Amino acid sequence: MKNRLKVLRAERDWTQGDLADALGISRQSVNAIETGKYDPSLPLAFRIADLFALPIEAIFMRD
Amino acid sequence: MRAKDHPALRRYVRRFVPITFVYMASIALATFIIADNAPATALTIGLALLPGLAVLGWLWAMARLLVELDDEYLRMLEVRKMLVATGLTLAITSVWGLLELYSPKIPPMPVFYVFPIWCVGLAIGQLVNRFGFGDAGDCG
Repeated sequence: MKNRLKVLRAERDWTQGDLADALGISRQSVNAIETGKYDPSLPLAFRIADLFALPIEAIFMRD
Repeated sequence: MRAKDHPALRRYVRRFVPITFVYMASIALATFIIADNAPATALTIGLALLPGLAVLGWLWAMARLLVELDDEYLRMLEVRKMLVATGLTLAITSVWGLLELYSPKIPPMPVFYVFPIWCVGLAIGQLVNRFGFGDAGDCG
């Protein structure tokens, strides 16, 4: 699954650590999601979508 | 938050270290007190069960780590390590068991080795995470 997490984070001038703190997860997890090594669960995807005030499909896309 | 700073991991280390001390001390004590081929008595069985309790403690600590690790990605890394360890242990003990069954000259493997083999499997699981998936995690 592809995602726009890195772009959305950069638009807000957030570091991976900032995003990790906002989501209550590790920076390592943010990196794994951003680089496509790990697809988040639906609950975490909803938390990410809520944080960016976007629908999930605006952040995560099919390969 | 860095992975190694996760509270669940810190608790895991705080539990693991004293349990390891109990294991090593009780193994040393049992080895020192119980002579080779000593008959089974309440004392020998009790001394042998002490490190067994420590092994149960390790298993409890690892189970608590999975329950308390609320970061799903880090938890996935830990679970993958345990799956690799379980697969390796089953493979080695099952094949060795068949060799014992059909090749009488093969020495029997003491059941004692099952847990150490599983722990070696954890280390291999860490390498699988590192080199197979590009992320070892910081959970040891």
